[in-house]
Amino acid sequence: MKQLRSILLSVVMLPLAGIVAIPFYYILVNTLKTQPEISASPLGLPSGLDFSNYTEVFKALPIWQSFLNTLYVGVVSIALMLLIGSMAAYGMLIGQGRLTKFIGVICLIAFLVPGQTTLIPLYRMLSGMYLVDTLEGLIVLYLAGSIFCYFLIIGYMRTIPMELFESARIDGASAFRIYRSIVLPLIRPILVTVGVFQAMWVWNDFITPNVFINSPDKQTLVLQVYSAVGQFSTDWPAFMTLSVIVLAPLVVFFIVAQRHIVSGLVTGSVKG
Amino acid sequence: MGSTLAPPRPAPHLQSAPRPTRLQRLRRRGVESYLFTLPVIVVFVVLFAIPLAQSFYYSLTDFNGYSTEANFVGFENYTTIWRDTSMLSALGFTLVFTVGTTVAITVLAIPLALVLNRKFFGRNLVRSVFFFPSVVSVAILGLVWGFIFAPLGTGVINSIIGWFGAQPIAWLAEPDLARISVVVVAVWGGTGWHAVLYLAYLQAIPSEFYEAASIDGASRRQQFRYVTLPLLTPAITVSQLLLITGGLKVYDLPYTLTGGGPGFATRTLTQSIIENGIAQGEAGKASALSVVFFVAVGLIIVAQLALSRRMEARFS
Repeated sequence: MKQLRSILLSVVMLPLAGIVAIPFYYILVNTLKTQPEISASPLGLPSGLDFSNYTEVFKALPIWQSFLNTLYVGVVSIALMLLIGSMAAYGMLIGQGRLTKFIGVICLIAFLVPGQTTLIPLYRMLSGMYLVDTLEGLIVLYLAGSIFCYFLIIGYMRTIPMELFESARIDGASAFRIYRSIVLPLIRPILVTVGVFQAMWVWNDFITPNVFINSPDKQTLVLQVYSAVGQFSTDWPAFMTLSVIVLAPLVVFFIVAQRHIVSGLVTGSVKG
Repeated sequence: MGSTLAPPRPAPHLQSAPRPTRLQRLRRRGVESYLFTLPVIVVFVVLFAIPLAQSFYYSLTDFNGYSTEANFVGFENYTTIWRDTSMLSALGFTLVFTVGTTVAITVLAIPLALVLNRKFFGRNLVRSVFFFPSVVSVAILGLVWGFIFAPLGTGVINSIIGWFGAQPIAWLAEPDLARISVVVVAVWGGTGWHAVLYLAYLQAIPSEFYEAASIDGASRRQQFRYVTLPLLTPAITVSQLLLITGGLKVYDLPYTLTGGGPGFATRTLTQSIIENGIAQGEAGKASALSVVFFVAVGLIIVAQLALSRRMEARFS
């Protein structure tokens, strides 16, 4: 009975998963075809293994440039976010009543404000600082994510016994020393989880680069795919190939970090 | 949520010999904790407080986004946004999208989570496949689905319905079909994510609860109704809150899939704020819209939290 039910579930769920995966199969299989082949049978298997689409797309577009742009923005902004968020969480723990209340309130406000509401003033602010259409401008905007980092990190920090900090303090360690050599190593697990979660946000974000970036050489990967659609409107295989190239790192990332993605999803949603 | 506002633990009373007096320690800690929290305060002031205040201010002026002067016009912008057809259309579709995705994803994600909580061959694969769309960029998915919905016979969906002899349909060119298409893609992309969220809560339910229930003679349906559902209420709250706020803020998917068209059929509030406020030099009007948006999102979050607290009280 139990086995029958398990077989039944497999029989229902595997084809269902197959249907859900069709869009990914579709773009993958069409990177190996030519335009006439796609028109003839969009879901059929290619006639052979022809990787010329890939070489052509790499030739036609500065993919490496966009990849490095995305990587630069992602690494710098996430490092800063984690630094600011963890410092704030530690400051909250050692701080006193009034300050902690104040920080709690401002973080709650920041949580309620949708990015849309601050977009127009932020655009003017960045343009006043000559940061529109720069990667550094994107980094500044992504620092808003520090508040989310703070929420997750402080939740985790509260589970660490305060005695650990106290004994280091008695041994004469300064607050910065305690932060660097005790707090940071202890909260590594949550830093990884939050970092993975925020990396997905920055890597996949479309609205910020779409509003703030104009120059082709400053594009992030997602923005490049978007602007390539116009360029490739008649060349479907080229578009599919570009999408696969941009999605491929995420597949690897997904396989490596799946555990962290899921735990970030759970802690993040509980805190949020 | 409330836990973040709780005061920190009192330091344990320690007995070691020469150390600063309590007062000195307090003072030093105060300075140190200010130093540590300074960066996050700067982030808040620069990226949240000042822009928020500016948005309020712009919304009361005829500011166009680049000129140096702006005239105070009172609440005029707040009345004109209700007469702007593109903004009203954006409001309508944003609401349709929010309600549509919230209902559909909740109805699909809970059974999916229940199934994924059972043991069967290929379960991990199924879980990954459902979850994967939420790992990749929504914007790229929107573009890919644009090709899948292609109006010619060569689009994926049109060629599938072609096997059954149907004529090709211009999915994204007819307003209602375009709206439905956007919602369908969002449900496709979001269900797995929310199912994994529910799954995490399901796995936290101790199996003793079910054993006790079945000893008491509860049927499977009764077990679901009296054990699973009440313990899943917090997950439902979280999931719906994320779906509703995410739905109201939606931008990427409609923008990349349909560009907001046909006409203004799938335009979103965010798209209106961006296009009117930055591209068309109507910063005052767009700011009014963004303030209304902020208030609406805030009210919904508060209402949802109050409602769910009541639900949890009723179930437990």
